[in-house]
Amino acid sequence: MNNLVIWPFVLPVITALVCLFGGRVALWRRWVVACSAVAQVALAFYLQAQTVGGTPLVQVLGGWSAHLGVALVIDGLAAIMLCLSTLVALACILYSFFELDVEHGHPLRLPLTQLLVAGINLSFITGDLFNMFVAFEIMLVASYALLTLEANDRHIKEAFPYLIVNIFGSTIFLISAGMAYAVFGTLNLAQISERAAQMEGSFAVALVAVMLMVVFGIKAGVFPLYYWLPNSYPILPYSLAALYSGMLTKVGIYVLLRMLCTVFPHSLDRVHIVLGWLAGFTMVLAVLGAISRNFVRGILSFHIASQIGYMLLAIGLFTPLAIAACIFYVIHHIIVKSSLFLIGGIAFFRNGTDHLERMGGLWKAAPVLGVLFMLQAFSLAGIPPLSGFWGKFTIVAESLRAEQYWLAIAALLASILTMVSMMKIWLQAFWRPSVSSVPLENTHTLTTASIVGMTGIVGVMVAMSLFIGLNAETFLQVSTHAADALLDPTIYRSAVLSIIGKGGAP
Amino acid sequence: MQIDTALLVGVMFAISTYLLLQRSFIRILFGFIIFSNAGNLFILSMSGAPKDRNMPIVKDGVTQYVDPLPQSLVLTAIVIGFGLAVYLIMLLYRIILDSRTIDIEKMFKPEEGDE
Repeated sequence: MNNLVIWPFVLPVITALVCLFGGRVALWRRWVVACSAVAQVALAFYLQAQTVGGTPLVQVLGGWSAHLGVALVIDGLAAIMLCLSTLVALACILYSFFELDVEHGHPLRLPLTQLLVAGINLSFITGDLFNMFVAFEIMLVASYALLTLEANDRHIKEAFPYLIVNIFGSTIFLISAGMAYAVFGTLNLAQISERAAQMEGSFAVALVAVMLMVVFGIKAGVFPLYYWLPNSYPILPYSLAALYSGMLTKVGIYVLLRMLCTVFPHSLDRVHIVLGWLAGFTMVLAVLGAISRNFVRGILSFHIASQIGYMLLAIGLFTPLAIAACIFYVIHHIIVKSSLFLIGGIAFFRNGTDHLERMGGLWKAAPVLGVLFMLQAFSLAGIPPLSGFWGKFTIVAESLRAEQYWLAIAALLASILTMVSMMKIWLQAFWRPSVSSVPLENTHTLTTASIVGMTGIVGVMVAMSLFIGLNAETFLQVSTHAADALLDPTIYRSAVLSIIGKGGAP
Repeated sequence: MQIDTALLVGVMFAISTYLLLQRSFIRILFGFIIFSNAGNLFILSMSGAPKDRNMPIVKDGVTQYVDPLPQSLVLTAIVIGFGLAVYLIMLLYRIILDSRTIDIEKMFKPEEGDE
């Protein structure tokens, strides 16, 4: 039964290979990827149902004991993240079918998307620091390739900072994995957590923790390490930008949660305080950047960094309720952010441009789109009873309880400014009468059927986020269970280390 | 022996940092290559000084072995580093063809009609 644990990684890899070598018929390739994406969603939900009891699923590869071989672990949080990544991938893949005709799609796009999903999923299920590096590399190499695959001459140079910053981050990750091996003598996360608990308070543990925080800070887009993000995401096609914005930065958040809650001892107070303050700066500065931007993708890309701030603030506060709120916020954010990018895509195809000064008249032309956008924008800004409210409310309440008044003010300020920047899109793209006689960047128009299909996909995602908002109680309970399991390293440790395979007990 | 390795890694990090901060992106490329190799060497040095120890192949009568794990990690990291270097070279080649410059500052100078 536990052999299913590796399938969230293997299934997308197989799909990518079938797509690459399985013939030249583009339509057939689409069917393969769509069916596989549906199967991945089903698998992720099945695994989620298996972990509800609280015991993580563990698979040791090759039958070696965890301290010798590679262990894959799915606990509550990993299962939630798997569900989200497969759902968003499914939505983005279906959306991209409507976005491009069968003949015009780049043949490498679908296989690379599947490899990206494989990398993301592997980094959720791996229980080993070096394997996590490999998973990150699979994910990042696929993301580099997708970033430059269809970029034009002017856009491609924006990929360069993305590449350099992420390669730099990966090398630092490698070095910190080496340091962790030197300090703890192992790379298995469960064993590191066991040994770090015995070394509580030592300088070496804090050093490794800070190194890893820098690495995942780069991946997650934390102030002052986020500047590569808002310039590189806008060069992607909309369906891919939605996948990137939903998942890639959240992988950084996931690993930070895993490291600080499960692996390292909870006494790293100073690291938490630094994280909280960086989160405050990230929230406010990134949302100011969003206001300064004048095109839809730019505004939305800056918002990613700003929203990351809330999740980091929750990690920085480090109370059980705050961690639960962080997980809830991740669930909300992945759905809302990707659907906003998809809405931006529909607006782009209707208007022929995504520059706000040349847009207009969308409310008249597409009222359904307007309603969907408004719901998601309110949700992002945190208006009750939409899904964004509950996460933000809990985080602000927790920061007040921790007497971090400045951080609470920063969080509230950032959400007001989020509303302002969303109003900017609303007023110029939807409300204003359309501006005619302007040169359009995009002459490729879509048929009505495609637009309806795209709106339908976005509609389902909006319905999901409404469902999260209206059933906040249920989702907060799920997050609380995941957070409790995350904050109690003994569950993770005993699940991984109790499996004895070849090589005997550690 | 460990001191030598530490010094070598330190010097490599210093050179690569200098190169990564240059304007010409050919130098940045070399900075990156040296940086990843410094990282690999760092991991390798985690297995400790190889003095008086044997290669990690089990033989009768030998008790002291070099730690094999960092070596296998470095092998993986080298392969990944090669892949990234190839990708970076191809990207830079494309950028050179597109913008006819190897200077970062000229590359990012706003053009007419840019938003």
